[in-house]
Amino acid sequence: MQEQVREWLEQGKVDIFLGYKNIQGHPLPHCFTKDNLDEVSELIVGNARYSLEKMATKIAAEHKELKIGLVTRDCNQRALNVLYVWNQLRPDNIETISVNCCPSKLKEHGDCSYLEPEKAAPLKMMIGIDNNMDVKSAEEFSQEDRYKRWIYELQKCIKCYGCRDICPVCFCKECSLEHTDLIATGSIPPEVPIFHLVRAVHMGGRCIDCGLCEDACPVDIPLRLLYRKVNEIVSDVFDYKTGTSADQSPFNMLGEEVTLKPKPI
Amino acid sequence: MDFKLIPSTCSYCGTGCGVLFQVMDGRLVDTLPLKTHPVNEGKLCIKGWNLHEHVVSDKRLTSPMLKKNGQLQEATWDDAIQTAAEKLKAIIETHGPDSVGVLASAKITNEENYLVQKFARAVIGTNNVDHCARL
Repeated sequence: MQEQVREWLEQGKVDIFLGYKNIQGHPLPHCFTKDNLDEVSELIVGNARYSLEKMATKIAAEHKELKIGLVTRDCNQRALNVLYVWNQLRPDNIETISVNCCPSKLKEHGDCSYLEPEKAAPLKMMIGIDNNMDVKSAEEFSQEDRYKRWIYELQKCIKCYGCRDICPVCFCKECSLEHTDLIATGSIPPEVPIFHLVRAVHMGGRCIDCGLCEDACPVDIPLRLLYRKVNEIVSDVFDYKTGTSADQSPFNMLGEEVTLKPKPI
Repeated sequence: MDFKLIPSTCSYCGTGCGVLFQVMDGRLVDTLPLKTHPVNEGKLCIKGWNLHEHVVSDKRLTSPMLKKNGQLQEATWDDAIQTAAEKLKAIIETHGPDSVGVLASAKITNEENYLVQKFARAVIGTNNVDHCARL
C-alpha cells in the first residue's frame, strides 16, 4: 500500500493522502504529501477508526480542486457515496485504497451492519435489552418495555453533540439541533425524546451505520438501533438503501415533479 | 495546502481527555477525540468538542484592560496590577479580608493554583478559596 501511495503522490494522481501514522503510540490520521514522501514509509492502516472522509469534506470545502486520496474501509466507502450524493465531495477528486474491515484489537466484534456483530460487546453490558441488537429483535419486546427502555437511555444524554460532530454524513452549516425554536436550551438532559428524534429523522437516508456516533457517546446510548429503524423505514417506503451507490437519493431531488413512485406502505 | 493533525490534551477540567486538533493552513479548524487515549477512549464532552473555537476566538483578551470612564480600555501590565492591588487593599480595609473570594481553575497549572490559595490565605487573609466551575 505504501508503494501505491508513494506512486500516486509522485505522479500527482493525488495531491494529499489521508492515512494513519503512529504518533506517540497512537494510530492517528495523518496527511501525507509529496513534500514529505519519506513519511509514507510510516503509513499504516491502524486499528482505530476515524472519519477520514469528514476531514476530506472539510478540506474540499476550502480547496475545491484538490485531489484527495484516503484509506477506506467499507463504512468509509458508504459514507463517501452519501457525500457524493449530497454534493459534498466530487468523485473525480477522490481516490481510495480499500482495506479490510474491523474487527480489530479495539473492537472485538465487527462494527458494521454488513458484518455479524457478536451479541455482547465487551464495553456494553446486557441489562435487559442488548445494546447491539437489530431492529427486529428489539421490536419483539412489549410496547411498554420498549418505551421505558428508550426513555431510560435518552435521559442519560449530556448534550455533548458528539454524535453529530463525529458523524461523517453530518455537514449542515446550520444544524437543526442548535435551532432555538426546535430544541430548548439550558437543561440537561435535552428534551427527551425530541432531541434524539430530530437527529434520527435527519439520519433517514443519510446514516450509513458506521457506528462512530455510538463510539463517541459518553453515556452509551444505543443510537445505531434508532438510526437503523429510520433507515429501515426509508428502505421500505422508498426502496433506497443508503450508501450503496452514489446515484440520486429520493431526498435530494430538485424540481416540482416527483418521478420516483413511492411504494404502498 | 497544509493539513496537520496534532494530538493534545483538553485543558478545560481535571480529567484531561485526549484530543486531536485539525490544523488547516495554520488555522485550528476542528477538534476530535483521540480514540486510543486511555482517559476518554474516543469520547468528549461539549467543551472538549469546541476547543478549537475557544482557541481562535476573537473575544480572547490580548492585553490587560482597565475600565476608564465606564469603558474597557487597553492598559499595561504594570497599570493593571497596580490598580488591582490598590482596589483590593481598599476593599479589604473597608469590608475585611473575608469579603474577598478567590477562584482557582483547572486551566492553570498546579503550581499556579498553589499560588492562588497562598495569595488568598497569606496575602489577603481569607479562607474563601473555590473553583471556577462554581461560577
